[in-house]
Amino acid sequence: MSLLKYTVRRLLMTIPILFGVIFITFILSHMMPGNPFLKPGQFIKGNPEYVRALLEKHGLNDPIIVQFLKYLKNMLQGDWGESLIVSKGIPVWDLIKVKVPVTLEVGIYALIISSILGIRTGVYSAVHRNKPGDTIIRTVALLGVAMPVFWLGILMQYFLSIKLGLFPTIRISTIGYDDPIRITSFRLIDSLLTGRFDLAIDTAWHLVLPVFALSFLQVAGLTRYSRSSMLEILELDYVRSARAKGCKERDVINKHALKNALIPIVTIIGLRFGGVIGGAILTETTFNLKGMGMLFVDAVNWRDYFVINGLVFITTFVFIVMVVFVDILYAVIDPRIRY
Amino acid sequence: MVEQKLIREDELSLVYGETYRPGSFKEQLKEMFTPKYLAFLLKPGAEDEELNRRDFEMNKFKTKRSLIRRLNSPLTILGGLIVFIICSWAVFPHWLSFIPFKDVAISILPGTNRPPSFEHPLGTAAFGRDVLGRLIWGARRSITLSLASIVVSLVGGVIFGTIAAYKGGWIDNLIMRIADIVSSIPGLILLVIIVSVMGYDLQNILLALGLLGIPGYARLMRSAAISQRAMTYVESAKVSGASEWRIMFRHILPNSMSLILVALSFDIGTAILGLASLAFLGFSQTDAVEWGFDVNANKSALINAPWAAIWPGIGIVITVMGFMLLGDGLRDALDPRSKV
Repeated sequence: MSLLKYTVRRLLMTIPILFGVIFITFILSHMMPGNPFLKPGQFIKGNPEYVRALLEKHGLNDPIIVQFLKYLKNMLQGDWGESLIVSKGIPVWDLIKVKVPVTLEVGIYALIISSILGIRTGVYSAVHRNKPGDTIIRTVALLGVAMPVFWLGILMQYFLSIKLGLFPTIRISTIGYDDPIRITSFRLIDSLLTGRFDLAIDTAWHLVLPVFALSFLQVAGLTRYSRSSMLEILELDYVRSARAKGCKERDVINKHALKNALIPIVTIIGLRFGGVIGGAILTETTFNLKGMGMLFVDAVNWRDYFVINGLVFITTFVFIVMVVFVDILYAVIDPRIRY
Repeated sequence: MVEQKLIREDELSLVYGETYRPGSFKEQLKEMFTPKYLAFLLKPGAEDEELNRRDFEMNKFKTKRSLIRRLNSPLTILGGLIVFIICSWAVFPHWLSFIPFKDVAISILPGTNRPPSFEHPLGTAAFGRDVLGRLIWGARRSITLSLASIVVSLVGGVIFGTIAAYKGGWIDNLIMRIADIVSSIPGLILLVIIVSVMGYDLQNILLALGLLGIPGYARLMRSAAISQRAMTYVESAKVSGASEWRIMFRHILPNSMSLILVALSFDIGTAILGLASLAFLGFSQTDAVEWGFDVNANKSALINAPWAAIWPGIGIVITVMGFMLLGDGLRDALDPRSKV
């Protein structure tokens, strides 16, 4: 019961934060120089009369507070505005619905791979502390943390795609391939479900590089976290007693130590999941995947106010909900924690 | 020298046993800096019975040297070396790069996308720009921006964090809720938005990057300062009539800085990465000499001139790694119990 109460309270506390986020993004996006119909530095300057008429039509000439209140009112009613220039006339919510699957597909595959791999390498590295294996893992992990994802992507594009010709460089599917029937909106899963194995192979082929680039970086971070978390646990008394009573070493590591070491790691994974959309910008630009990240960069470049606001809102919303979810998950994983 | 003064002569004979007869100050100094002793200091895991014993006893008197010793892991030294080299690139590119700035920045020279040669050790990029020259001159922008933005976040974060911790109540609530709002938007997204509002100039990017770092430092500072607030010395300062600001910034602040110093070096690396990402996305001046910008500008010529896009990235990786190695070493030395 108290957990339920806690959850409700936490969720209610996110409302002012979300409100602040909408306010800040709205004000900032309207403060950008230029407007959707006249970008600064644009070569072809539109007819000023026409631009003014367009601004008037979309209500962009009103005082900013009026605009904000109107936007807020519409948003609460489920109308997130429509794209002004990037995909002219399409409601933002529909745009997001089309773009989200691409982002999530890359992000979630990478997250699953990196969670499994990162924890294992971290545990290995902690158990074999200061041995050659540990040193190698730590060096690679540090390299992964220090590496910008776009550079890793470019490196792989050059060596694996251009030099060796193993993988396609950009896009999520070959040009000219049709889309599978939408069931889950995930391209790979959909094509498997509908029995289009040619599409599935094609999509998987295209996904290898982006997923690898993204998961390499995440594995690196996760390895460092799980290593230090594991090192801390391994020195505790109950691990020693587990060894003393004759447990197998594998059971000591996996059952006694790892379960307790997982608690901080779950936080990291949860936050990563919340940051999937936000972290997609660089991967998507590098591999030219038409997802949320590319849409965001385009929207900022073209001053497409409602798209910017919608994207930032949905990203932040997912992130905040995941933070709350992780806090609740704590109580489930660790019975010592009570709210 | 300070250590020498701390140990009185009679204590010395206690420390080193009967056989030890302290000579004059000069002799002591000579003994301290023998090659043997220096080797003992710098070699990890060095064993020498007499020096070990002396080391153990000396540690009771001085902590300074033991800090150096703890910092003295090969990886930390490597990190320090990298940081030193990159920083000297940033400060003295006129001398270290054989190509003047105007040739690197905006010139249009013959020889687009030429492979590495004697004249251009790492090849040339579009418009005949020398890759090595831009690599060296690019350090300047990365280091300047990241260091300066860290200073902005550090100063802002420390001030707000200390005030929030000391004042408590609604001020604390207000500051922390604003920090919550700012830090709940993913960093790169907010950075892109703020930079497009303020413009791509150096000082604007610096300010945007710095402002975004404030919530993190404020939170860190607040948690460190809250534990200090309950200490006796704060109470005695209050009793002796110190003003609030004096207590906050002369008493509490210096005592809670160590956590922040540990985070600092690591965050410089993160700032460089953020900066490079920003430039890669195209939110950068078109005439900037910057690593991320170079990667972005040359990625389309990957087939013809891979060196032009790959070398600036190596610059980023090595610099960030240097700062992170240094940060790791600092953390191990200053705050051995902390996590990653």
